[in-house]
Amino acid sequence: MSNEVLGKDSIEVEFNDNVGVVNSDDGSESDHAQECQSDSSELHQGVEESDSSEDEVTPRNTIGDVPLKWYQDEAHIGYDLAGKKIKKKERQDKLDSFLATADDSKNWLKVYDDYNDEEVEVTRQELKLVCRLLKGKAPHADFDPYAPYVDWFKWDDAKHPLSNAPEPKRRFIPSKWESKKVVKLVRAIRMGLIKFDKPKEEQRFYPLWRDDSSSTEKANHLAYIPAPKAKLPGHEESYNPSLEYIPTQEEINSYQLMYEEDRPKFIPKRYTSLKSIPAYDNVVKDIFERCLDLYLCPRVRKKRINVDPESLKPKLPCRRDLKPYPATCYLEYKGHKGAVMSISIEASGQWIASGSLDGTVCIWEVETGRCLRVWVVGEAVQCVAWNPLCELPILAVSAGQDVLLLDTGLGDGEEQKMIKDFLHVGTAKAPDDSGNKVSTVSWLQDDKHEGIRLRHFKTVSLVEWHRKGDYLSTVMPAGESRAVLIHQLSKKHTQRIPFKLHGLPVSAVFHPTRSIFFISTKKTVRVYDLREQKLIKKLETGLREVSSIAVHPGGDNVIVGSREGKLCWFDMDLSSQPYRILKCHPKDITNVAFHRTYPLFASCSDDCTAYVFHGTVYSDLNQNPLVVPLDILRGHASSNGRGVMDCKFHPKQPWLFTAGADSVIKLYCH
Amino acid sequence: MPKHYRPAGKKKEGNAAKYITRSQAVKHLQVNLPVFRKLSILKGIFPREPKKKVKGNHHTYYHVKDIAFLQHEPLLEIFRDIRAYEKKIKKAESKKNPDLANRLRTRAPSYKLDRIIRERYPKFVDALRDLDDCLTMVHLFAALPALEREKIAVKRIHNCRRLSHEWQAYISRTHKLRKVFISVKGIYYQAEVEGQKITWLTPHALQQVFPGDDVDFNVMLTFVEVYETLLAFINYHLYHSIDVKYPPILDPRLEALASDLYALSRYFDANAKHSVVNPEASSVSGSEQVETQQKGIPPDESELRLAQLQHQLPSNEPGALMRLVEDVADEDEEDEDTRECKKLFKNMKFFLSREAPRESLLFIIPAFGGIVSWEGEGAPYKEADQSVTHQIVDRPTQGHIFLSREYVQPQWVYDCVNARIILPTEDYMVGRVPPPHLSPFVDNEAEGYIPEYAETIKRLKALARNEVLPLPGEGTEDLEDPHKLLVEGIIDRAEANEAAERKRKMLIEQNQYLNELKLEVDGVQYSSIASENKQSSSKETEARESEPDLQQIVQDHANRSTVVMSRRKRGLYEAAQISKKRRQDKVDVLVERNRKNKEAQKSGKN
Repeated sequence: MSNEVLGKDSIEVEFNDNVGVVNSDDGSESDHAQECQSDSSELHQGVEESDSSEDEVTPRNTIGDVPLKWYQDEAHIGYDLAGKKIKKKERQDKLDSFLATADDSKNWLKVYDDYNDEEVEVTRQELKLVCRLLKGKAPHADFDPYAPYVDWFKWDDAKHPLSNAPEPKRRFIPSKWESKKVVKLVRAIRMGLIKFDKPKEEQRFYPLWRDDSSSTEKANHLAYIPAPKAKLPGHEESYNPSLEYIPTQEEINSYQLMYEEDRPKFIPKRYTSLKSIPAYDNVVKDIFERCLDLYLCPRVRKKRINVDPESLKPKLPCRRDLKPYPATCYLEYKGHKGAVMSISIEASGQWIASGSLDGTVCIWEVETGRCLRVWVVGEAVQCVAWNPLCELPILAVSAGQDVLLLDTGLGDGEEQKMIKDFLHVGTAKAPDDSGNKVSTVSWLQDDKHEGIRLRHFKTVSLVEWHRKGDYLSTVMPAGESRAVLIHQLSKKHTQRIPFKLHGLPVSAVFHPTRSIFFISTKKTVRVYDLREQKLIKKLETGLREVSSIAVHPGGDNVIVGSREGKLCWFDMDLSSQPYRILKCHPKDITNVAFHRTYPLFASCSDDCTAYVFHGTVYSDLNQNPLVVPLDILRGHASSNGRGVMDCKFHPKQPWLFTAGADSVIKLYCH
Repeated sequence: MPKHYRPAGKKKEGNAAKYITRSQAVKHLQVNLPVFRKLSILKGIFPREPKKKVKGNHHTYYHVKDIAFLQHEPLLEIFRDIRAYEKKIKKAESKKNPDLANRLRTRAPSYKLDRIIRERYPKFVDALRDLDDCLTMVHLFAALPALEREKIAVKRIHNCRRLSHEWQAYISRTHKLRKVFISVKGIYYQAEVEGQKITWLTPHALQQVFPGDDVDFNVMLTFVEVYETLLAFINYHLYHSIDVKYPPILDPRLEALASDLYALSRYFDANAKHSVVNPEASSVSGSEQVETQQKGIPPDESELRLAQLQHQLPSNEPGALMRLVEDVADEDEEDEDTRECKKLFKNMKFFLSREAPRESLLFIIPAFGGIVSWEGEGAPYKEADQSVTHQIVDRPTQGHIFLSREYVQPQWVYDCVNARIILPTEDYMVGRVPPPHLSPFVDNEAEGYIPEYAETIKRLKALARNEVLPLPGEGTEDLEDPHKLLVEGIIDRAEANEAAERKRKMLIEQNQYLNELKLEVDGVQYSSIASENKQSSSKETEARESEPDLQQIVQDHANRSTVVMSRRKRGLYEAAQISKKRRQDKVDVLVERNRKNKEAQKSGKN
């Protein structure tokens, strides 16, 4: 049979099926007849009944709907109805087929059917069908898809009813059972057993806040804290922000390097027209988060302080009114090779002594900067101190475990003679065990420097003279119970202080006018009366580590410097707590000093600065001392992490001397 | 002895007695967590922060009184009933008895929230104060699609839509809108009702993106439940305050066309006219004549539309309906602001093109006294109407152009509203990139940075008020310079003192140095160029050396008073400084970017 017929036939049958009338071609009819004869009639029956056009004409091949690649490598393409193998035909080679297309103009109409392994030529009719199908129309031109529906059944005026049965009686009389049921229901309704559904009530609106005046009724629950309003959008959230609000690509990239919390959540973007704004992804999410905030976040009423930061600053008196105070560097004293640890000014203010880590002690003339004299002590000098008496220009120097009392060679002949007497130790006194005398200090004559050498048992860190110039105290931080000693020069003997020490002593000073002694340990400063030998006061500094202490010449005020850069001013009449704490240095405070006559004090620190303050103490007890920061003095260089090691005021002038770790001493004048 | 030892028989005291954690509260109320959550949302109960958190830091604490307040709530019992009832339905369903299940469903217990609203907001002003979130939420739900999965019912969405339109209609009608802002997130509106500033956000009219699992719609739906009731009652109150019936009866045809807002405004007019028919009659007839001359809506259409309102209105008044009736009586009550807003778009007639954001503009333009129509069915007048003064177009080119009107981009309307003046339309013409749209909510002065366009608007406003300009008679290009100066002035305000001091010191030094130079020159008696050069160079180096010193001195001076401060004050001061610096940094970034942009523009031109 020809495939030409098959295609045509299949489509036609389908079409005919639609119309509902079977009207098959004579060619196909004959085909069917042949098939019927050769095969069973049953098959034919099936074909006729089926709707599908494919079953209508049995293909030559009987393998069914299986992948054709199963037969790819076989010599046959399948089986015919009789079950015999259908051999594959010889395929034209490519060249031949190409030539055929070139020669035959109708070759493009040929289609290879690989199921049946044959070439089929599409007829003109079929081509038309295909074209119509491609256009999406019904395949046949004469098919009207919108044909009026023809109802074949005659509904009215039929002579005979569909059913012959007589009308039942129940169609004519009311139902007994129904009436019974109705009675039952009515009774139930009357008795209230059945309740009707009320119509769903719509929300009625009424003036809820009509009587606004009755707001006096007190809510019997806690105060309502309204939720803070959502933040209002800024310029950058605009759909068309100014260009400066749009970050550059590099900036956007740099956001990736930030921590997730710091990263900006919203990146401004510019759209040129309103309709080009895309849907915002997080609309629902943002509002959901707001909802969560509303019902999950604890609410607190917070007082937001809205003050001008400038108004927080206390009003300070003008610096100009507080002059004179040291402000500019006037002179430098150079000559030391190591860090200058300590300086001391002679009582008349003409000379200044300095001790350095290179083991030298120098005396300089204040006004010229000339070095008068140099002692080579040999050991690192921790502290130097002039005798406060003008007529006794003796210098106390602590170097290592020794304290040297040096004759500076100043003063006229008479004074020199007195000093010589003073600084003469007879034969090495045998240590006397009586009294408070301590055997651990020995008074020795130092021939090399023409002075006295007081040999201690531990390193001496501080030497301090009594105002009368006869006593001097030394502090040995490692000395435990004998850490603070008081030496008497005229009697050449040493005594221990009769008080228990609490903690490591840092510094010890005499009261400027009375017989009171201050010992500062790392946390507290204790004030003792030497005459009555008892504790007068304990000053709680609250600092981590006290480094230095200085007493106001009036004697009632003390400043304490600490290693955390804080300076405490104690008014001893006021309380044992600091009157004022000044955080003036970022690094350790190394020393603090009061001026003897001017209302000035200073602190120096490892940050290479010295801070000068004004500090007036009023004689009126009701008036608190006035503390005004004046100036930061810079100029020293840092060496080994140390900055300014010591600062001292000139006894008469408002000048400040600072000793730096950079081996320079500077004089700051007003 | 443990730290919190309490002898037996002694009551709890302090924070331990006043606050309980959430799980304790849930247990105390004998409900499950979702019910507790719902109840606390409905009642507006929120956790509080005790001074001392007895149970630990990671708990949320509720005040005992708040919980007691919940416990006495009748809703709690209703919720229990509902829960039991749901079990009944479930049982019926599992027994394959759908009739019973359906019948049960129709009779499910329900609750109303009006009492709770009254309880939460004893005064009307209280309710207005908390309206921001309510409006934002209702507007969001009005824009959401109904979603079976998340239990977002169609009815709810329609209700939200209706409520939001009612609110907008009221605001528009009473001219209470103050500020608008188009952001990427949506459009912000700010209205002022009874002295309360109410800000809300409406999403852009686009298909909304549903987030994934991280949004719990149950919570949002509970909020919407409260907000719907709240907004309905507020609308009722507001409508009655202007003598309009609530809920409004809308023309179903307009409603179907999704122009509810217009329908509402017509309803307003109808109601208002009903109350003041006689005094308005003459003016109405006048405008009527004008508008009937124009080719408006065919009469049969208008009749259809008016079918609903016929009992209130004569049917052959097509155009007059749209006109907003001027209530003379209201005039006295309105404040200055409202009067100003009312007059902004007076005597202007707008026409919206198809692509312009219709809902937003239909809301805004009438709120500022303009008349508006749109392309589409049910519009009050057509595009061809000759009296249209402005057409709002959001497309790159405009095909047919009427010479009698101006074609502007929608942003013009928003910027005009924020500036409260009619801005020149040149920058907003079709096809141009409009000038930046600035947020009206930012206090530029406080922020420290004033965008250029804000300055321009300020000047235009001054011009509109006939105030004397700082630089009269100068061209627009020169306008920028004073702005810049001003901006810089503000930025540098902080540094001003420092700079002044530095300058003074430098001056002193220079003078001193010059004197020395003079002396030197006189003394040495020769002045060659070389020596001068040397001197100048040395001078430069000296200046350079002294500069850090001077800075140091200035800084010291500034720090002087901080040294004496008490620790608390110092901390406060430092915090203030940090925040100041942060703000300044932001401004600096903006200034820097602006400078770069300008440079780029310049180089681009060259």
